[in-house]
Amino acid sequence: MNRSLAMTVNALGLYAVALVLAVAFAAQLWLKELPCPLCLLQRIQFAMLAIGPILNIRFGPRPSHYAVSLLAAVAGAAFAMRQILLHIMPGDPGYGSALFGYHYYTWAFIGFAVALVLIALMLLFDGQFRDDGAPISSSAFARTAVWLVIALTALNVLSTLLECGFAACPDNPVEYELLKRTP
Amino acid sequence: MEFAALFLAVTIVMLAAWFGSRALALALFAVTFIASVATYLHHATDVLKLSF
Repeated sequence: MNRSLAMTVNALGLYAVALVLAVAFAAQLWLKELPCPLCLLQRIQFAMLAIGPILNIRFGPRPSHYAVSLLAAVAGAAFAMRQILLHIMPGDPGYGSALFGYHYYTWAFIGFAVALVLIALMLLFDGQFRDDGAPISSSAFARTAVWLVIALTALNVLSTLLECGFAACPDNPVEYELLKRTP
Repeated sequence: MEFAALFLAVTIVMLAAWFGSRALALALFAVTFIASVATYLHHATDVLKLSF
Protein backbone atom coordinates (compact mmCIF):
# COMPACT_ATOMS: atom_id res chain seq x y z
CA MET A 1 0.00 0.00 0.00
CA ASN A 2 1.51 3.33 -1.04
CA ARG A 3 1.10 6.66 0.76
CA SER A 4 -1.68 7.94 -1.49
CA LEU A 5 -3.84 4.85 -1.03
CA ALA A 6 -3.26 4.90 2.74
CA MET A 7 -4.44 8.52 2.88
CA THR A 8 -7.60 7.55 0.97
CA VAL A 9 -8.25 4.70 3.42
CA ASN A 10 -7.74 7.18 6.29
CA ALA A 11 -10.33 9.48 4.69
CA LEU A 12 -12.75 6.54 4.56
CA GLY A 13 -12.07 6.04 8.27
CA LEU A 14 -13.02 9.66 8.88
CA TYR A 15 -16.31 9.15 7.00
CA ALA A 16 -16.97 6.11 9.24
CA VAL A 17 -16.40 8.23 12.37
CA ALA A 18 -18.65 10.93 10.92
CA LEU A 19 -21.36 8.31 10.34
CA VAL A 20 -21.15 7.15 13.97
CA LEU A 21 -21.37 10.73 15.27
CA ALA A 22 -24.28 11.48 12.90
CA VAL A 23 -26.23 8.36 13.95
CA ALA A 24 -25.70 9.29 17.62
CA PHE A 25 -27.04 12.76 16.86
CA ALA A 26 -30.03 11.30 15.00
CA ALA A 27 -30.93 9.13 18.01
CA GLN A 28 -30.60 12.15 20.26
CA LEU A 29 -32.73 14.46 18.13
CA TRP A 30 -35.37 12.17 16.62
CA LEU A 31 -35.78 9.58 19.38
CA LYS A 32 -35.25 12.28 22.02
CA GLU A 33 -32.78 10.07 23.89
CA LEU A 34 -30.28 12.27 25.66
CA PRO A 35 -26.82 10.72 26.09
CA CYS A 36 -25.75 9.85 29.64
CA PRO A 37 -22.27 10.86 30.94
CA LEU A 38 -20.74 7.49 29.96
CA CYS A 39 -22.42 7.71 26.55
CA LEU A 40 -20.89 11.18 26.07
CA LEU A 41 -17.44 9.85 27.01
CA GLN A 42 -17.79 7.15 24.34
CA ARG A 43 -18.80 9.77 21.80
CA ILE A 44 -15.74 11.83 22.79
CA GLN A 45 -13.49 8.80 22.18
CA PHE A 46 -15.09 8.26 18.74
CA ALA A 47 -14.23 11.89 17.94
CA MET A 48 -10.67 11.38 19.28
CA LEU A 49 -10.38 8.34 17.01
CA ALA A 50 -10.49 10.82 14.10
CA ILE A 51 -7.37 12.74 15.16
CA GLY A 52 -4.98 10.04 13.85
CA PRO A 53 -6.49 10.02 10.33
CA ILE A 54 -6.51 13.84 10.24
CA LEU A 55 -2.77 13.84 11.07
CA ASN A 56 -2.18 11.13 8.43
CA ILE A 57 -3.97 13.18 5.76
CA ARG A 58 -2.21 16.42 6.74
CA PHE A 59 1.36 15.17 7.33
CA GLY A 60 1.36 11.76 5.64
CA PRO A 61 0.97 8.35 7.34
CA ARG A 62 3.18 7.71 10.39
CA PRO A 63 2.99 4.98 13.06
CA SER A 64 2.64 7.63 15.78
CA HIS A 65 -0.57 8.90 14.13
CA TYR A 66 -2.03 5.40 14.18
CA ALA A 67 -0.95 5.12 17.85
CA VAL A 68 -3.09 8.18 18.65
CA SER A 69 -6.16 6.40 17.26
CA LEU A 70 -5.22 3.13 18.99
CA LEU A 71 -5.16 4.92 22.37
CA ALA A 72 -8.59 6.47 21.73
CA ALA A 73 -10.02 3.09 20.63
CA VAL A 74 -8.70 1.27 23.72
CA ALA A 75 -10.12 3.95 26.05
CA GLY A 76 -13.44 3.97 24.19
CA ALA A 77 -13.71 0.17 24.38
CA ALA A 78 -13.00 0.31 28.13
CA PHE A 79 -15.69 2.97 28.69
CA ALA A 80 -18.24 0.99 26.64
CA MET A 81 -17.39 -2.23 28.47
CA ARG A 82 -17.95 -0.47 31.81
CA GLN A 83 -21.45 0.50 30.67
CA ILE A 84 -22.19 -3.02 29.39
CA LEU A 85 -21.14 -4.45 32.78
CA LEU A 86 -23.36 -1.92 34.63
CA HIS A 87 -26.36 -3.50 32.88
CA ILE A 88 -25.22 -7.14 32.81
CA MET A 89 -27.56 -8.40 35.57
CA PRO A 90 -30.49 -10.53 34.35
CA GLY A 91 -33.68 -8.48 34.18
CA ASP A 92 -31.85 -5.15 33.74
CA PRO A 93 -33.51 -3.40 30.77
CA GLY A 94 -30.30 -1.48 29.94
CA TYR A 95 -29.96 2.22 29.24
CA GLY A 96 -31.87 3.73 26.34
CA SER A 97 -33.40 1.87 23.43
CA ALA A 98 -31.83 -0.96 21.46
CA LEU A 99 -30.81 -0.87 17.81
CA PHE A 100 -30.97 -4.26 16.02
CA GLY A 101 -31.08 -5.97 19.43
CA TYR A 102 -28.06 -4.22 20.98
CA HIS A 103 -27.91 -1.05 23.06
CA TYR A 104 -25.81 1.85 21.79
CA TYR A 105 -22.98 1.14 24.24
CA THR A 106 -22.75 -2.46 22.99
CA TRP A 107 -22.55 -1.16 19.42
CA ALA A 108 -19.92 1.33 20.64
CA PHE A 109 -17.82 -1.53 22.05
CA ILE A 110 -18.12 -3.42 18.76
CA GLY A 111 -17.18 -0.23 16.88
CA PHE A 112 -14.06 0.37 18.98
CA ALA A 113 -13.04 -3.31 18.69
CA VAL A 114 -13.41 -3.14 14.89
CA ALA A 115 -11.38 0.10 14.86
CA LEU A 116 -8.58 -1.60 16.84
CA VAL A 117 -8.40 -4.47 14.35
CA LEU A 118 -8.53 -2.16 11.29
CA ILE A 119 -5.79 0.13 12.66
CA ALA A 120 -3.61 -2.91 13.41
CA LEU A 121 -4.19 -4.12 9.83
CA MET A 122 -3.22 -0.68 8.46
CA LEU A 123 0.02 -0.81 10.45
CA LEU A 124 0.97 -4.01 8.60
CA PHE A 125 1.58 -2.05 5.37
CA ASP A 126 5.08 -0.56 5.65
CA GLY A 127 5.00 0.87 2.13
CA GLN A 128 2.84 3.80 3.22
CA PHE A 129 5.61 5.06 5.56
CA ARG A 130 8.25 5.31 2.79
CA ASP A 131 8.88 8.89 1.71
CA ASP A 132 8.69 8.92 -2.11
CA GLY A 133 9.78 12.56 -2.27
CA ALA A 134 6.43 13.75 -3.61
CA PRO A 135 4.78 16.63 -1.71
CA ILE A 136 1.90 15.62 0.57
CA SER A 137 -1.38 16.88 -0.84
CA SER A 138 -4.87 15.92 0.24
CA SER A 139 -7.76 15.28 -2.14
CA ALA A 140 -11.12 17.05 -1.98
CA PHE A 141 -12.57 13.72 -0.80
CA ALA A 142 -10.18 13.72 2.19
CA ARG A 143 -10.60 17.43 2.95
CA THR A 144 -14.39 17.02 3.01
CA ALA A 145 -14.04 14.12 5.45
CA VAL A 146 -11.84 16.21 7.76
CA TRP A 147 -14.24 19.14 7.83
CA LEU A 148 -17.27 16.87 8.25
CA VAL A 149 -15.78 15.32 11.39
CA ILE A 150 -14.67 18.70 12.77
CA ALA A 151 -18.18 20.14 12.18
CA LEU A 152 -19.90 17.18 13.89
CA THR A 153 -17.54 17.42 16.88
CA ALA A 154 -18.17 21.18 17.16
CA LEU A 155 -21.94 20.52 17.05
CA ASN A 156 -21.45 18.15 19.98
CA VAL A 157 -19.93 21.02 22.00
CA LEU A 158 -23.18 22.93 21.54
CA SER A 159 -25.57 20.03 22.17
CA THR A 160 -23.66 18.89 25.27
CA LEU A 161 -23.66 22.41 26.66
CA LEU A 162 -27.43 22.60 26.08
CA GLU A 163 -27.92 19.19 27.69
CA CYS A 164 -25.73 19.55 30.76
CA GLY A 165 -25.66 23.31 31.24
CA PHE A 166 -22.85 24.75 33.34
CA ALA A 167 -23.13 22.18 36.15
CA ALA A 168 -22.33 18.46 36.36
CA CYS A 169 -24.28 16.43 33.79
CA PRO A 170 -27.17 14.43 35.33
CA ASP A 171 -26.75 10.62 35.51
CA ASN A 172 -30.01 10.09 33.63
CA PRO A 173 -30.69 13.24 31.59
CA VAL A 174 -34.29 13.66 30.35
CA GLU A 175 -34.30 17.29 29.24
CA TYR A 176 -31.87 19.97 28.08
CA GLU A 177 -30.74 21.90 31.17
CA LEU A 178 -30.30 25.19 29.30
CA LEU A 179 -33.73 24.90 27.61
CA LYS A 180 -35.67 24.31 30.83
CA ARG A 181 -38.51 26.74 31.37
CA THR A 182 -38.57 28.23 34.84
CA PRO A 183 -42.04 27.97 36.49
CA MET B 1 -20.03 21.12 31.67
CA GLU B 2 -16.90 18.93 31.68
CA PHE B 3 -18.18 16.98 28.67
CA ALA B 4 -18.79 20.12 26.61
CA ALA B 5 -15.26 21.22 27.56
CA LEU B 6 -13.87 17.86 26.41
CA PHE B 7 -15.70 18.10 23.06
CA LEU B 8 -14.33 21.64 22.70
CA ALA B 9 -10.83 20.37 23.49
CA VAL B 10 -11.16 17.61 20.85
CA THR B 11 -12.33 20.17 18.29
CA ILE B 12 -9.28 22.32 19.08
CA VAL B 13 -6.97 19.28 18.74
CA MET B 14 -8.52 18.52 15.32
CA LEU B 15 -8.01 22.12 14.18
CA ALA B 16 -4.42 22.03 15.50
CA ALA B 17 -3.84 18.77 13.58
CA TRP B 18 -5.19 20.33 10.38
CA PHE B 19 -3.68 23.83 10.59
CA GLY B 20 -0.89 23.66 13.18
CA SER B 21 2.25 21.66 13.78
CA ARG B 22 2.44 17.93 14.46
CA ALA B 23 4.08 18.47 17.85
CA LEU B 24 1.36 20.86 18.99
CA ALA B 25 -1.43 18.49 17.87
CA LEU B 26 0.18 15.50 19.61
CA ALA B 27 0.74 17.49 22.82
CA LEU B 28 -2.87 18.72 22.83
CA PHE B 29 -4.07 15.18 22.13
CA ALA B 30 -2.11 13.90 25.15
CA VAL B 31 -3.64 16.54 27.44
CA THR B 32 -7.18 15.88 26.15
CA PHE B 33 -6.77 12.12 26.37
CA ILE B 34 -5.58 12.32 29.99
CA ALA B 35 -8.48 14.69 30.81
CA SER B 36 -11.03 12.28 29.29
CA VAL B 37 -9.62 9.28 31.21
CA ALA B 38 -9.57 11.38 34.42
CA THR B 39 -13.23 12.32 33.82
CA TYR B 40 -14.08 8.64 33.36
CA LEU B 41 -12.26 7.65 36.56
CA HIS B 42 -14.02 10.46 38.44
CA HIS B 43 -17.44 9.15 37.32
CA ALA B 44 -16.42 5.51 37.80
CA THR B 45 -16.01 6.16 41.52
CA ASP B 46 -19.59 7.54 41.84
CA VAL B 47 -21.94 5.61 44.09
CA LEU B 48 -24.10 3.42 41.85
CA LYS B 49 -27.83 3.75 42.49
CA LEU B 50 -28.79 0.18 41.68
CA SER B 51 -31.88 -1.61 43.01
CA PHE B 52 -32.61 -5.34 42.75
